[in-house]
Amino acid sequence: MSNKYGDEDESKKAKMHLKANDLLCVNGCGFYGTPQWENRCSKCWRAHQNELKKSQDFAKNKSLLSFDQFQERRKSTTESKSRGIKNLFKASPIPESGASSPTSTSPASTPTRRRDLSPDSLEARKHFTDFLVANLSTAMAQEIARSVKNAVTKICEMRMNPDEMSELVMSYYQYLGERIGGHSLFDSPDCKVKVEDVMDQVEKYISTCCYTTFFCASHEEEVADVSLQDRIRSLHWVTAGFLETKLVFKKQTVRDKIDEGISELIEINAKKSAFEKLECLTRSCKAVFEALKESESSMSADEFLPTLIYILFRGNPPLIQSNVKFISRFAIPARLMSGEAAYFFTNLSCALEFARNMNHESLQMEKAEFEAYTTGHLAPPLSVINSACNQAMYVLEGTIETITTVVKKAGGLASNLTGVHGKADDDLEKMLIVIKETVDFYPTEEYLKMKESIFGEEQETADLLVSLSRQSSESGRGTLSTSADSQPSTPQPQLEPSLESPLAAFSQK
Amino acid sequence: MPDATAEQKQFKFKVVLLGEGCVGKSSLVLRFVENKFSSRHLSTIQASFQSKTVHIDDCKAELHIWDTAGQEKYHALGPIYYRGSNGVLLVFDITDRRSFEKVKNWVLEIKTCLGKTAEILIVGNKIDLEDERQVSRQDAEVYAETEGALYMETSAQENMGISDAFEALTSKMIDHARTNTTETSTSNRSIRLIDGEEEGRRSRSKKCCR
Repeated sequence: MSNKYGDEDESKKAKMHLKANDLLCVNGCGFYGTPQWENRCSKCWRAHQNELKKSQDFAKNKSLLSFDQFQERRKSTTESKSRGIKNLFKASPIPESGASSPTSTSPASTPTRRRDLSPDSLEARKHFTDFLVANLSTAMAQEIARSVKNAVTKICEMRMNPDEMSELVMSYYQYLGERIGGHSLFDSPDCKVKVEDVMDQVEKYISTCCYTTFFCASHEEEVADVSLQDRIRSLHWVTAGFLETKLVFKKQTVRDKIDEGISELIEINAKKSAFEKLECLTRSCKAVFEALKESESSMSADEFLPTLIYILFRGNPPLIQSNVKFISRFAIPARLMSGEAAYFFTNLSCALEFARNMNHESLQMEKAEFEAYTTGHLAPPLSVINSACNQAMYVLEGTIETITTVVKKAGGLASNLTGVHGKADDDLEKMLIVIKETVDFYPTEEYLKMKESIFGEEQETADLLVSLSRQSSESGRGTLSTSADSQPSTPQPQLEPSLESPLAAFSQK
Repeated sequence: MPDATAEQKQFKFKVVLLGEGCVGKSSLVLRFVENKFSSRHLSTIQASFQSKTVHIDDCKAELHIWDTAGQEKYHALGPIYYRGSNGVLLVFDITDRRSFEKVKNWVLEIKTCLGKTAEILIVGNKIDLEDERQVSRQDAEVYAETEGALYMETSAQENMGISDAFEALTSKMIDHARTNTTETSTSNRSIRLIDGEEEGRRSRSKKCCR
């Protein structure tokens, strides 16, 4: 206890000698720091702790990610300690010519500390031997099987980095291809398979065996993959129309094909052998072409590459870079140089390259705009969003469209109705005119009678008027002149409607 | 598998089509492979990857023709496409001066990336639009000669000069393959760079994998 106190005293003493400057935060922010915060002020300490936590988390994630690989590597180092690579070369017996002494060498060539093959590799081996037995003569099948088996044993044993292994595997493919290629057996018409088919199977088997050890082997590769995936996620907004694909998303078939392409692209990661991975890629690309076809767009590379990039961004397939690397490392080189799969593979490489290097220039937009979209500060304008990609949005859009058409149709109907009204009025007027004309030309008896009677009445009235005027002129002008004028005018209004009345009756009918 | 001992009769070539968008790359391939042309560009055949066998004298050459995206934003991806190719077909539109200038860029790039492993054929397309011509035949020919490339003029619409162009390129590639058999075989074998150590590694791996 006394010791502790003494210590405290000493530290107190020491503190007494400190200058005010020494008490300031080590970050130099001008505030005072405290020893328990490592001479930082409260603000800097909090920032420091955040930083620390971040880096710890990152390290944790990194170790979590690479845990499997770590186990693998530990296993591998313990295994290879006893046997250096050089020893391996010396120790493994090399049969001078595989066909001459098969039985004696084969047990020796199987090393005792061989690692067991993974279940997938075992299945691949079974598939491979079945293929050989079914298609080739026994001697040939045995020879190939033995050669490949030895190669696989070596692959499982040898610990080297993937690139070195890739070179070995490549030269093995070439060696085996040349060796069996020269065989007359394949030229005979009885042989159902070609050298290429055998090589396909060899590649399938070998690359499956390589998968466990050499797929995404270093954790840098995995980190690179995860960061690419992050990048694609942050650039997800480009799928909203910035890639200028000519897909017609309104079509169900186009959407189906795009979905198919995306799922095949993701499926690549689930396959073990380079051959199967490439098959997935080919199916994915074919689906892209189908989608372009359904969209009635041209099917040239000008359209294909953007669409492939589009599905890459939409799907964001896991470990895609590692898959591409694995394929380029362990597939038969010829497959990646020519043929359809090679073309698609190259296009995928291009799409990945584009995704890695994409910037505002490649989309021809302002840098600030690009960054705002990427950081999520700005959402892409609605006009470019392919709302049809989202099922709910699509349904909504469909409904809006239906409503718009209904409203448009209703408007059309209304204007049609006014048109009909107007026309009806016009027709009515015309009809009245026509009726009047007709009646004038072909008057009915009733009309004539009426006309006659009216005419008679008019005559009578006229006569009456004449006599009246005479009487009035005789009796004297001046006072009666007005009454003479007004008197005949009174029956006249009565006459007018009577003339019109038959017409009115007609029109009402 | 080509026979290296006797004079080679069968070949397999990778030909890459480069050129700006809308110069008629895809139409050119469609015309050559399917003998079809559609001005609306609405075809049911995909033009991006095609193969066709060409007979020259008594040789048989299988051409794998790779179409590339011509838009400006994909320009940087060119090397991924033309790596390992035996021939490059550079297409430009004779009615568009700019597309010809682009061809010059491509030539420079290809020379730095592929060296002399690939033959270059420059094609001036759309000669059916002679009235709107902006690049004279002489200009293009002189340029091609200085770069050691071939120059041909075609019209995908009228089917003029297309098979001639492909045949000329093929025979040049055959000559190239015959004179540089070793060179092409190494460049075909692996897409990775191969240094002097390769041979040693090969012999070692043969031993270990047998």
